[in-house]
Amino acid sequence: MAEVKGQQDLVDLIDWSSVEVLNESSAKPWANAVKKGYRDDPGLYLESDCDEQLLLYVPFTQQVKLHSLVLQGPERAFAPSSAKVFVNRTSVGFDEAEAEAGTQALELESDDVLEGKPVALKYVKFQKVQSVTVFIGSNFEDEDVTRLSKIVLFGTPQFTTNMNEWDKACKT
Amino acid sequence: MVLEATVVCVDNSDFMINGDYKPTRLQAQAEAVNLLAGAKTGSNPENTVGVLSLAGVRGPKVLATPTPDLGRVLHCMREIKPEGSVSLVQGVQIAQLALKHRQNKNQRQRIVAFIGSPLAEEEKALVKVAKKLKKNNVSIDIVSFGEEAAQQNAEKLESFLNAANSNDQSHLVTVPPGTILSDILLSTPVFMGDSDDGGSGAGAGGSGGGAGGGNDFEFGVDPNLDPELALALRVSMEEERARQEAARERERKEEEQGKGGQGGEGEGSGEQASAGDSKPETEPQPKQQAAVEATPRANNNEEDGDGDVEMTDDAILQQALAMSLAESQANAGGGSAQDPVTPATTREADKTPQAPQKQEGGASGSASAPLGFATEILSNLPGVDVSDENVQQVLSALKEKQSPKRSREEGDEGDEEDK
Repeated sequence: MAEVKGQQDLVDLIDWSSVEVLNESSAKPWANAVKKGYRDDPGLYLESDCDEQLLLYVPFTQQVKLHSLVLQGPERAFAPSSAKVFVNRTSVGFDEAEAEAGTQALELESDDVLEGKPVALKYVKFQKVQSVTVFIGSNFEDEDVTRLSKIVLFGTPQFTTNMNEWDKACKT
Repeated sequence: MVLEATVVCVDNSDFMINGDYKPTRLQAQAEAVNLLAGAKTGSNPENTVGVLSLAGVRGPKVLATPTPDLGRVLHCMREIKPEGSVSLVQGVQIAQLALKHRQNKNQRQRIVAFIGSPLAEEEKALVKVAKKLKKNNVSIDIVSFGEEAAQQNAEKLESFLNAANSNDQSHLVTVPPGTILSDILLSTPVFMGDSDDGGSGAGAGGSGGGAGGGNDFEFGVDPNLDPELALALRVSMEEERARQEAARERERKEEEQGKGGQGGEGEGSGEQASAGDSKPETEPQPKQQAAVEATPRANNNEEDGDGDVEMTDDAILQQALAMSLAESQANAGGGSAQDPVTPATTREADKTPQAPQKQEGGASGSASAPLGFATEILSNLPGVDVSDENVQQVLSALKEKQSPKRSREEGDEGDEEDK
């Protein structure tokens, strides 16, 4: 598994109940690509439904600094080739995602996507991230569906104290 | 209990003046919308309902953004006037926009469209917008009504639905004319959607964004989402089960003991009478509260045990008073009465340890009395043999003790110890 020095995998800080993925196929939902365990299994992947686009909205339980991300696809033809990342936008639809530049646009290398190498983000632009929206616009061979087997976000939490456990700490 | 935001698209074209649904199509829709809004907000307090009119001079218009406030929905339904013709494509797009900007992102999105007039749009355009709905995770329920309109639209709406449907979350309902719109809708998936999801949609719940789903998990919590909570729930469940097990065990033991105790009661039922009889004498003495508290129970036992039940309260009281008087006069009173009563009194002693002693203390405070009366009482009691050696011994002992208080009490304590 790929790791980035000095940064941690932010999977534990994801606010699961609010994750939303648009245009996901009901048979192959987002959990396959995002959750621990599921995402490490290349046989389980997230697939788009109507067309090749996917829109993942991932909120965090606290502010984080985002350093890099991994987008991994199972096969080259269906793997995502271009992506846009939006920061702290709660309601990005496909229309906005296509029209706007986003916080950062990514053109992905097929090797990186197949091997799951982390792609660095412009660190200065990802300093106070409460939620991140990843828009996947296309795949490498213009297939009708895009498949994403793994997405990992690397970064550091802004606060080392998890305020959700504040109550617990007070009681003990 | 799906958490969702709903936008109801009301057809308010000129066709709605028609009275084939009583009183008019528009009124019938208003009633159905009211019911629907009530059902939606009732199924989950965080559900919101908005209203949009599909027709109008300036095209579709949002009359109420999704709100949990039923009043707003009812109010804007009153404001709708029939005018113009419907444009479903535009209306659905606007509704989708209204849903996209819902405040609670955890809500699923749903559009309920009432269509009662012929659609001017091409099928292609409808399918395109339906695909967009599907792409954006918006479910749509279509209510098609009206005589000609339903027939003309059937094909278009069918393909619209097929394009928009994912996971069977969207439905098309056709309501025949001459019926009551809201009544028919009540039994359709448009209203029943929630309970429907509970059953058939269980599989869909997990995949449908994870926000609303979760019926298919043991405690309604996805153990993957929140392992700690799931663990806590499971542990608490185990504890509760263990507790119930223990309670059941205890109950069974008590039952067994109770059976044993009842057997004893049966034997001693006669003797209880005297035990109970000795009680009322304690009443006048305020310091013996504990004893008084214990008496009702003893009295009840007694009444259950023998045939005194028929006696009125007054009679019982009188008899009790007379007896207590007699007993207190007989310095033998407490002792002689108590002595043969071993099973009954010991049981009471278990309940209120101090009670018997105190009573006897009270009894001992009285003057001497004819021994003959004590003997008479004893002989009247079933299960007590006056000729019994022990009883005789006690009686003779009582004869000798001429009520010096101290010695009486000592004697009583001796009695207690004997027991």
